[in-house]
Amino acid sequence: MIRTISLLCLLVAIPLTAAWAAASVPVRVQVVDAKGVPVRDAVVEIDAAGSEGGRITFPWRMAMAQRNEEFVPGTLVVARGSTVAFPNLDKVRHSVYSFSKPARFEIDLFGRDQTRTQKFPIAGAVALGCNIHDDMRGYIRVVDTPYAGKTDNNGMLSLDAVPNGSATITVWHPRLRAPGNEMRRTVTISGNSNRHRLAVNLR
Amino acid sequence: MKDILLDRLPSLRFGTLRLRIAVLFTILFALVMSVVLVLVSQSIERFGERAASGDLGANAKVVDEILDLRAQQMRTSAEVLSRDFGFREAVATGDSATIASALRSLRARAKSGSAFVVGLDGSMVDDGSGRHPPVDSIWGPLDDGNQKGLMRFGGEFALAAASPIEVPDLVGWLVVTQPLGAREMDRLAKLGAVDMQARVAAQSDLPDWAAASADGEVVEAPGQDDGLYHVSRLPALQDGIEPRLVLQHSLTEALAQYSSLRYLLAAVIAAGLALVIALGFRIAGTITRPLNRLDIAVRKFARGEDATLAVEGEDEIGRLATNFNGMVQAIAEREREIIHVGLHDGLTGLPNRKLFVQQLDEALSLRQDEDRILVAYVDLDDFKVVNDTLGHPAGDALLRETASHLRKHLPQAKVARFGGDEFAVLIKGIDPGRNLTALADEIQACFARPVDLGGHQADSSASIGIAVAPGDGEDGITLMKHADLALYRAKRDGKANHHFFEPSLDEQARRRREMELDLRLAIRDGGFELYFQPLYDLRADRLQGFEALIRWPHPTKGMISPGEFIPLAEETGLILPIGEWVLREACRIARAWPDNLSVAVNISPKQFLAPGLATTIMQALSTTGLSPERLELEITESVFIANVEKTLGTLHSLRDVGVRIALDDFGTGYSSLSYLRSFPFDKVKIDRSFVQDLAQEGNAHAVIRAITTLAEALGMDTLAEGVELPEQMEILRREGCQYIQGFLLSEPIPSAGVDELFDQMAAQPKQRATG
Repeated sequence: MIRTISLLCLLVAIPLTAAWAAASVPVRVQVVDAKGVPVRDAVVEIDAAGSEGGRITFPWRMAMAQRNEEFVPGTLVVARGSTVAFPNLDKVRHSVYSFSKPARFEIDLFGRDQTRTQKFPIAGAVALGCNIHDDMRGYIRVVDTPYAGKTDNNGMLSLDAVPNGSATITVWHPRLRAPGNEMRRTVTISGNSNRHRLAVNLR
Repeated sequence: MKDILLDRLPSLRFGTLRLRIAVLFTILFALVMSVVLVLVSQSIERFGERAASGDLGANAKVVDEILDLRAQQMRTSAEVLSRDFGFREAVATGDSATIASALRSLRARAKSGSAFVVGLDGSMVDDGSGRHPPVDSIWGPLDDGNQKGLMRFGGEFALAAASPIEVPDLVGWLVVTQPLGAREMDRLAKLGAVDMQARVAAQSDLPDWAAASADGEVVEAPGQDDGLYHVSRLPALQDGIEPRLVLQHSLTEALAQYSSLRYLLAAVIAAGLALVIALGFRIAGTITRPLNRLDIAVRKFARGEDATLAVEGEDEIGRLATNFNGMVQAIAEREREIIHVGLHDGLTGLPNRKLFVQQLDEALSLRQDEDRILVAYVDLDDFKVVNDTLGHPAGDALLRETASHLRKHLPQAKVARFGGDEFAVLIKGIDPGRNLTALADEIQACFARPVDLGGHQADSSASIGIAVAPGDGEDGITLMKHADLALYRAKRDGKANHHFFEPSLDEQARRRREMELDLRLAIRDGGFELYFQPLYDLRADRLQGFEALIRWPHPTKGMISPGEFIPLAEETGLILPIGEWVLREACRIARAWPDNLSVAVNISPKQFLAPGLATTIMQALSTTGLSPERLELEITESVFIANVEKTLGTLHSLRDVGVRIALDDFGTGYSSLSYLRSFPFDKVKIDRSFVQDLAQEGNAHAVIRAITTLAEALGMDTLAEGVELPEQMEILRREGCQYIQGFLLSEPIPSAGVDELFDQMAAQPKQRATG
């Protein structure tokens, strides 16, 4: 029911955006694994041809908190050049490090309610770890496009108004079995029916 | 050679039951023990194999565990490095030099063979030793998350442990290896419970039989030494290698530890065998020893010795001994019975002749110098009469009664029965002073007594002949012969008499034997003659006939009187041929006489006893043609003693054909008038003893008259014998006697004399009658 209503809303909204940016269409991408099971928290980026430059912003907070000895959210999509905060919500202290090429940094142990920040100037995947809690994993995907997001529980990502034309869809997931943990597909965005289903191999 | 072998063959058989039992025991035990030995040996082998298999399996587990443990340790040491932040940083940043140095440090610290880092991207950084397999072959297993396993490089297997390098995502693996060379494997193998060889081999390098074996299975190597092989999988940390842990255990060695057990068993069996041989002999001995004793006893018994066995225990052997003793006793008892029966008279229980002879011989051999031994032969008087008149049971009762009486009343004597009515009495140890006649009377008295025989009172008496040693003979045969002669004599003397042997009896006996032989010759050769004595009819005053009298003119001894040889002939039975001859001869001669003259022939009682007397007489009459009326048979009362019925029958049949019957010697002997009544004699001959008395004063002629009166009343003629004097003749004539016979008329004359008499009579017909 709710779905139907949201769909109706979406249908109502399309003419509005079309009127606002005539060459854009909504795109829905679903990521599934080899067995067809939806993959959540997969980062989907669409590198559209006619994307405008300018500052990219995402509607979610640019922060990776530590709570209950976990990075929250586990996967964070940020735009290139963003500064991400690392608030410690636990009673214990944590450190944050990354040996990923896009951003190599080390934040020494810091306590409760302290926040550290780090700027991510290069696009790519950054794996975050805590030096004293091996099991803590967090991923920050630094993207260079506004058409990005992570899949929901249904492995689904909906993007409004992706410019028509040829585009490359990149799916990244920390356990994706491929070099750089990412998979690309070139698609054409046009008219309606921009629904893409991508199957990936997970580790 | 072959023959010798064949001859020897039977000697292989067991000579004794004991040896046979012992040997059979031993063989049986040896067989059983052999089976036991084989079974136990097989069991030991199986057990040894199974134990070795178990040991192998256990060892394999131990080796597995040790390898796993070692890998774990290696992994732990690797983990220390792989988790080191600096090392991770070096790996994450691709600082190969730093990595290599860290690896060398690790290798030295962990005393491992080599250490290297495999990147998730397929890169390889080693410690500079170059001891690592190709990355392609190990990336897969590492990527699959395996952390321990075997690798193979440089031609050698190595234990490897991998620790992932995470920054925090996996970027590669730190791998530490430890070579598993022969030395190392030997060291591992030594840790096991049993001695064995261990090695690691690729599946492809294994021989087919080992490669085909299931994981963890114990197989025996075919065609090689008795090696047991245990092949088990080892985890691989590398593609394309299939490492196998091969444990080898020498079965010979495994079983060697049990060989002592086998020797012990063999020793036990050998000891048992020795024990069984000893025991077998002993047990066999307990069986065969009594058998041997029985054997000896049986042999002794066969020899007639005392063969009683000692009875031991109540088992079969004891029972056998008891039964054997019983058998010995029973046989001895039966033997005694048989001897008793053989030496005793069944009817009276008295010793028989055989035993009596033994007793007599024994008594004679034991006789002291002055002692005397008396042997008496006893013959019961008139036993035959008792048997004939009262029956055999009565006769038997008389014998039994007599025997028991003798036993009771002659305790000092040994009494025997010889059969029939003959008894014998032996009295030994008679001292020289003892009166033998009194002793004889004593014996006589034992027989002379009335006996009750089933209601019949019978007077018993006996004739006894006695011989006394040493006077009448020194040996038993002679004594018994002499006693027999004395008995013969005593019987001749009449009833209830005893007679001692005297040498003349011996002489008489000898003469009798001689005479018997001569009689037989005379019968054969016709050595007898008939003499005739006239019988004169006083009433008709004429010659009535002649009595035929037998004479025996012996070739050397001269004329022998009938009184001498007739009794002998009667005893020996020769009277029958003699009597027959007399009959024929008398008839033959009388046939030639004038028809009015008869001939009288004496018939012995014995002739009546023998069958066929009537036939003999008829034949004599028919062959000579003599008229029966002219034949007169003279018989004595004694013919009636035995078998009256038969005698009467014969007499009647003869009378019926006309033969006349005269009763001879009337007045002597029994003189029973019942005989006169029982048969209608034609004539009664008055005994000469009455006639002789006539010349003297007395009542003789009264007797004559009585006899003649009686005879007349019965319708019988009377004849007086032995008339020698004219006075006697006159008295006889007066008293009514019709016929006379005697020397007054004529002595017996030969046949030729009779003819002469006829001639004289023809010449002087009247002379005799008036004279």
